Amino acid sequence: MSIGHALLGLLEGGPRHGYDLKRSYDERFGQDRPLHYGQVYSTLSRLLKNGLVTEAGVEAGDGPERKRYAITDAGVTDVERWLSTPEKPEPYLQNTLYAKVVLALLSGRSATEVLDAQRAAHLTTMRELTKRKVDGDLADQLICDFALFHLEADLRWLELTAARLDQLAVEVTR
Amino acid sequence: MNRVMSDLALGVRLAVGGSRKSWARLALQGVGIGLGVALLLFAASLPSVMEARDDRQDARNPVTEGAGPAPLLAIEQGHPFRSEYIRGSYLKARSPEAPVPPGIDRVPGDGEIFVSPALAALLDAPGGELLKPRFPQKVIGTIGQAGLQNPNELHFYAGDAKIQEEPDGNTVYGWGVPNDGGGLNPVLWLLSVVGLVVLLFPVLVFVGVATRLAAAQRDRRLAALRLVGAAASRVRLIASGEALAGALAGLVVGFGIFFAVRPSVNGISIAELSTFSSDVMPAPALTVTVVVAVPVLAVVTSLVAMRRTIIEPLGVVRDQKPVRRRLWWRLVPVAAGVALLVSQIGELSATARPDPWPVVTGIVLLMLGIPVLLPWLVERVVFTVRGGSPALQLAVRRLQLDSGTAARVVGGVAVVLAGTVTLQMTLAGVEQDVRTNEEKEASFSYLTINPDPAVDPGAITAALEKTAGVDGVHEIGRTFGELNSGEYVVVTIASCEALRSQATVPDCVDGKAYVVPFSNGLVEAKAGDVLTIKKSGERWTVPAVETVEGTRPGLVVTPAAARGLRAEQFELIAVLDGAVPDVAEHTRNALAAYPWQMHTYFVGQDDTNEAERVFGVIRRALLAGSLLTLLVAAGSLLVVALEQVRERRRPLAVMAASGVPRGTLARSLLWQNALPLAISTVVSLATGIGLGVLVMRVSGSSVAFDWAGIGLVTAVVVGLTLAVTALTLPSLRRATGALGLRTE
Amino acid sequence: MSLLKAEGLFKSFGKTHALDGADISIRAGEVVAVMGPSGSGKSTLLHCIAGILPPDKGTVHYSGQDLTAMNDSKRSELRRTEFGFVFQFGQLVPELTCLENVALPLRLSGMKRKDAERASRDWLARLEVDGVADQRPGETSGGQGQRVAVARALVTRPKVIFADEPTGALDSLNGERVMHLLTTAARETGAAVVLVTHEPRVAAYSDREVVVRDGRSRDVEFAR
Ligand SMILES: Nc1ncnc2c1ncn2[C@@H]1O[C@H](COP(=O)(O)OP(=O)(O)O)[C@@H](O)[C@H]1O
Ligand SMILES: [Mg+2]
Repeated sequence: MSIGHALLGLLEGGPRHGYDLKRSYDERFGQDRPLHYGQVYSTLSRLLKNGLVTEAGVEAGDGPERKRYAITDAGVTDVERWLSTPEKPEPYLQNTLYAKVVLALLSGRSATEVLDAQRAAHLTTMRELTKRKVDGDLADQLICDFALFHLEADLRWLELTAARLDQLAVEVTR
Repeated sequence: MNRVMSDLALGVRLAVGGSRKSWARLALQGVGIGLGVALLLFAASLPSVMEARDDRQDARNPVTEGAGPAPLLAIEQGHPFRSEYIRGSYLKARSPEAPVPPGIDRVPGDGEIFVSPALAALLDAPGGELLKPRFPQKVIGTIGQAGLQNPNELHFYAGDAKIQEEPDGNTVYGWGVPNDGGGLNPVLWLLSVVGLVVLLFPVLVFVGVATRLAAAQRDRRLAALRLVGAAASRVRLIASGEALAGALAGLVVGFGIFFAVRPSVNGISIAELSTFSSDVMPAPALTVTVVVAVPVLAVVTSLVAMRRTIIEPLGVVRDQKPVRRRLWWRLVPVAAGVALLVSQIGELSATARPDPWPVVTGIVLLMLGIPVLLPWLVERVVFTVRGGSPALQLAVRRLQLDSGTAARVVGGVAVVLAGTVTLQMTLAGVEQDVRTNEEKEASFSYLTINPDPAVDPGAITAALEKTAGVDGVHEIGRTFGELNSGEYVVVTIASCEALRSQATVPDCVDGKAYVVPFSNGLVEAKAGDVLTIKKSGERWTVPAVETVEGTRPGLVVTPAAARGLRAEQFELIAVLDGAVPDVAEHTRNALAAYPWQMHTYFVGQDDTNEAERVFGVIRRALLAGSLLTLLVAAGSLLVVALEQVRERRRPLAVMAASGVPRGTLARSLLWQNALPLAISTVVSLATGIGLGVLVMRVSGSSVAFDWAGIGLVTAVVVGLTLAVTALTLPSLRRATGALGLRTE
Repeated sequence: MSLLKAEGLFKSFGKTHALDGADISIRAGEVVAVMGPSGSGKSTLLHCIAGILPPDKGTVHYSGQDLTAMNDSKRSELRRTEFGFVFQFGQLVPELTCLENVALPLRLSGMKRKDAERASRDWLARLEVDGVADQRPGETSGGQGQRVAVARALVTRPKVIFADEPTGALDSLNGERVMHLLTTAARETGAAVVLVTHEPRVAAYSDREVVVRDGRSRDVEFAR
């Protein structure tokens, strides 16, 4: 799960304080693992260094929590690339995929495309595993099947999400 | 008890179900069973019809004896008119208290007449003028139902002052005497028995079939109940409930049809068959039997058919191969029937009626044998069919899996067919005898007149000779005797000239004697036989005789050969010119002055051929009856076929989807309908012809084959197969559409 | 070069727009999975491109012939000779034995019974169900029945096999076995397979997938 991309995605909605960002992130993605402030500021400073965000004014007082950040064009391109590149199919992807879907919806991009790309990537992997399974011995088969069942679970989740996109869109943009 | 009722109720609920399909099924069952019930109700009304007729006949029999002078004189008389026969009485009231016959309100006075509605119609119809001279009286009313046997009876009561009291009793003291009557002619009686069995038996078969409509589905449903743990006895109860629902619907429909059709029975054109609708009252006992028997039959049929479901619930669910049928017990009824009939051969003579039970039981058993034997036979045949086109293969395999339903339906068809063939053959046999007679008569042309002894023969002769078309008048004598064998012989004494008019005697000289054989070739007397004359008890030895063709079987002797014989009766023979139209009727009109003093009988070529007409009517009625039954059968077959298409919707749809041409599927349906029907047609023709031969042997008439009739009925069966298949096609088309592929 | 290509297919059942502008293209010998949620129009798409159901609008071309312009009997013949079908269930004629079921399409094409049954027996063996050759479908297990159905679909050596949820009624082991046998046999005979399924593990036997959603399909190949 890339916190950097998530923060960039959240910033696409408009400039924000670091504290704001943490709250939004926790609300949407951090149910069981809220971000530390430290994580937020270290990520933001990495993004700042890479030119993906800029400082957009400071309010009275000092300390980093008073700084507002805005996304740069380079940042937008980076988010876009991230969203359109399917994750490498592997178990326990849901967090990342979910974040991608939500951020796509938040930023008005096509969440369907995110899911389709991911499905294609998953299926490609599943095809390879199936081929190996068919050609392999029993041990290969069992190992491949393990992976296949997990990937299938991902895909089922994908399909389910795809079927509920409209509902989700209403909820995240509220 | 409570549980029994609730199980029955569950069955009824399953049958009625509430869905459109189940209502449609119930409606079909109702109509199917209802038609049968209606037919049964009409059959159950036969006793009341007969009884009502007999009662009215009895009511118009005169009471000829009583105290004091008779208040009324009456002479019964019949007038032949073309092929009709008009019966009635000439009456003369001798006191104001003269008893009035039933159906009219007073005794007609001299020159007055009451006529039945049918006679009034006949007199008014074109051609009625030819009859008018014989009924010159003033019509003062029509005879009511109380005085008529049937609505189309030709009947009259005429007043005539010339009637004199006669010693042999034309006195009437009242009306209404029970009379045992002669009863039915044995051959006709046998025909009626066969007819009744043939008509009613298929009805029972169809009631059975109708209760089994949608049986496969029901079996599966009940098998499912069985699988979830219903005990066999409960499944039986539930099945009975379902069958009951159909049977009850059928009873309701049946009574409906009966009361709807009843009013039209008095419109039947054959007088003897026409009936006052008020006479058609099903006998209470028989009605109760029908009301009880139909549901029982329905329940029993469905229970018997349920055997397999109950034993093997999975077999029904999984469409397993059914158990093969066993043969031996199916042969029992056929064998028993044939044995019984064979044992009766020759028992029925022209006059004697044999013990009816062996014959009736034999016929019934033979008929019962067909539907019992057919399922086995159909199964045997479909299991031996090999190869053939895919269409045939599909049909054969289908029939192998379930030939029972189809076999049951065609079993009904087979009974109808066999019965029809039997009846047609029996008819053809009787007809052949009658026709031979007619043909013999057709080469002659004369009218015999048997006058009352009181009438002066000279006056009659004079009247006859004045009539155009009468070529000559002869007088002949008759006497009657008995041979030692007990055979009854009519002896005609006539001059050669008189003889020529009624027998083929080209070289007749006075002194010759002839014998005219019966139509079946039987010669009753030969030279040397001793004849005992009835009246005098004298004995007379038959001289040398020649066998000749003639119109009246018996001995015919010229005066010189008749020495020792005295004529008891005289009759006049008016030789007629066949070229003059309606010459017989004109001649009878010439004798109209003697309305009740003589009987006439015409021998010759009738303009309306009596046999033609009567047999035509009977044959048409028979054909109509069997067609009706066949139609019901076709209806059942159609329902079964539609069911099967519906049941196999998915495989059919898949086959169509995979490119199996519809034509192949349609042909397989055709085969599926045609195979059982073809088998049943062959079986029923064989049974029908066999039974026909047996029945004719029993009744002693000659064996004749009505190939035209057999061909026609067979053609109808073929047509029905095609029609049923054609009617199934739309549902096949629907099933094979892509919609059939959809999983619910 | 595509063997079967459908463009802009529309099909409505009353108010339901089962197909709402679907495209698909199948190349010879490839295995294409048609995926999508239930009710999305997968089966309808399959029926349309297989010439079972005429679309309301759009064209279907099979090796240069326009299916939508053919009459019913011509399409029937095409389905019989060029296509093979496997459905979820209930496709075998219950009265015929398994062997006769497989032989049926051959016999319909005029082959003699003996030859047809010999060829069918080979196919049953290939699909590892020669043991049930003389049983009726009702007496076999679901997996065996589906294999018999696959044998029947392959016996005429069709160019395209249409399979609509062929494993829908099977457990995963049986389902995978059927898929393996089906795709292997199809690859050996060079038949293309159009595989409608919503199961990813079944779809994994394909070469690529086409996703149908709300009657519209996304066929990546089609655009090229
Ligand atoms: N024959 C039909 N009549 C009415 N609606 C139909 C018919 N066939 C399909 N549909 C409808 O069209 C839509 C697509 O159906 P289908 O192609 O069977 O979907 P899938 O196979 O993807 O589950 C569904 O909403 C279905 O209800
Ligand atoms: Mg579907």
